[in-house]
Amino acid sequence: MGALDGIATGFQVALSFEGIMFVLIGVFVGTFIGMLPGLGPISAIAIMIPITYGMDPTLALVMMAGVYYGAVFGGSTSSILLNAPGISGTVASAFDGYPMAQQGKAGKALAIAAISSFAGGTISVILLMIFAPMLASVAISFGPPAYFALMLLGLSAIASLSEGSTIKATISAVVGFMIATIGIDPQTGTSRFSFGSANLLDGIDFLVIALGLFAIAEVCYLIMNRKKKSIGSAKEIGSLKLSKKDFKEMSGPAGRQSFLGFILGILPGAGATIASFISYITEKKIAKKPEEFGKGSIKGLAAPEASNNAATSGAFVPLLSLGIPGSGTTAVMLGAFLVLGLQPGPMLMTDRPEVFWGIIASMYIGNIFLLILNLPLIPYIARLLTIPRPMLISLVIMFSFIGVYAISFSTFDLYLLLAFGVIGLLMRMFAFPAPPFILAFILGGMMEQSFRQSMTISDGSLSIFFTNNISLVLIIVSVLSFVFPLVQAIRTRKKEKAEA
Amino acid sequence: MLKNVNQRIAIVLALISIIYLILSYQLPTYPYIPVDADAIPKALGWLLLVLSVGLFFSKDRDSEEQKARRRIPKKDVISLLVVFVLVFLYITLFEALGFILTTILFVFTCTWYLGYKKHLVNAIVSIVFPVALYSIFVYLLQIRLPAGILPF
Repeated sequence: MGALDGIATGFQVALSFEGIMFVLIGVFVGTFIGMLPGLGPISAIAIMIPITYGMDPTLALVMMAGVYYGAVFGGSTSSILLNAPGISGTVASAFDGYPMAQQGKAGKALAIAAISSFAGGTISVILLMIFAPMLASVAISFGPPAYFALMLLGLSAIASLSEGSTIKATISAVVGFMIATIGIDPQTGTSRFSFGSANLLDGIDFLVIALGLFAIAEVCYLIMNRKKKSIGSAKEIGSLKLSKKDFKEMSGPAGRQSFLGFILGILPGAGATIASFISYITEKKIAKKPEEFGKGSIKGLAAPEASNNAATSGAFVPLLSLGIPGSGTTAVMLGAFLVLGLQPGPMLMTDRPEVFWGIIASMYIGNIFLLILNLPLIPYIARLLTIPRPMLISLVIMFSFIGVYAISFSTFDLYLLLAFGVIGLLMRMFAFPAPPFILAFILGGMMEQSFRQSMTISDGSLSIFFTNNISLVLIIVSVLSFVFPLVQAIRTRKKEKAEA
Repeated sequence: MLKNVNQRIAIVLALISIIYLILSYQLPTYPYIPVDADAIPKALGWLLLVLSVGLFFSKDRDSEEQKARRRIPKKDVISLLVVFVLVFLYITLFEALGFILTTILFVFTCTWYLGYKKHLVNAIVSIVFPVALYSIFVYLLQIRLPAGILPF
């Protein structure tokens, strides 16, 4: 099937009645959950997975993708209105968005955010449409050694996912990998670390971990902070209208940062958060009036908004074409694929073109919906932010329970969910980042298998990874991408010392 | 000696890695397999041990922000524990009483305990959500949630 046929198939899926309906549900739910401070795209996707059981996988994934980019889109609303970012990818949007809202120009800020996000989303989908098939056609010839190296590249992201301490991020990843070794080893049938429990023979389901470490742990934080008055009533929003001058001012940053955000989104570990910060900083550096940044600059709002949405589509490139997640969120997306019985990777484009192209095509429509949802309706949706926290807490626990029970039909997994919630809470308290954990958990199992397959092919010689050109290059790149953030961190630390 | 938190965590992690290593060395191995099921666990166990030693001697101390994150008022610890007990009861009764009844009870009590005062709204939400979700899952998606003592 050629690319044009594929695109046509994709739009057939995306423009069908069900396609449109599920995109709409996905982006609406995503916008809503993304808006709630504390609950990010990982929780949003994990909570929505149970709804997809028994659904057509294509439509289910179209919806899940909508939840993901919808959450990034929606996160900006609470950043602007409340200075309480719904998700980490929209922290930078608050820098200039919140000052604008305080100046009584909240409507304008929301409109700029929505239009820049739309630009970022749409430009990056076009790029995704070009790059994902290219990468998939290269990756189709990959053997186990190249796959192992690819996953190593995915794991190298942990250095950049760390919140300051690389050693803690690495520990988090190693423990995640350890949890992945529980259960029956698929190659030899050896049962590992299951302690004779039949419940552990199949290993621990990824949903238990995703919901535990993110949703339940977030709930614990909400319980402790439930009385904090971060959610005020949304003030008068003001006019949403933009002048020609506003458009002129935002078009430059929105356009440039869409490309930059997309590229950063492809890289393992970068993702929406880092992309939005880098875009903000670059725009500030090249701006004629950098002193306006932080005081309600249109450019300062347009740049991170275009960038974080573009990065979201960028993250789909390695996920769809290689089957390798580069961040915690895409790792959970990969889990959603697996729950539905699909393995993303180079074969997806040829074996299941309707899924591959359907997701991509649906993103165009999803972005249009998001623009419609976010422009005229946002003042009304923002009222949902006033949902009382005690109720939110109880309902999130309920949703997590349904999700876990409907996949395992055992209360054992519910106890495990609670246990991982406690682990997630402890990790937060002691500053161990959770995304490396889930990334290593998902990649770990796959990585071990491809490593051992390669070793079986080479009869136990490690040289197989270095004689294969693709895997050699990938291993070098992953080492560099692990070491580079470290070197940078050491450099800034030295600089700080020199200044102090 | 164990003045900072990182050192205490490092010791806990080291203990975990030692237990994990002991278990890994007990895994059975088979001949003619270049890399058997025990290889990766052993490597991971050693890696965690090395990393916990690294953490023990690492220089980064807690920032004020991190300390603040751990400073939880006693009252909040208690409410957290009460919610945990509620969740625990919820799980234990989940299959016996069924999804609808336990969920109604859980959502209502938990919301009420956490300080929501509008009891009527609370009652409506805690009945409508479980019943609606149960119907969607069981009748629309054909996924059985425990019916428990209710006949449907």
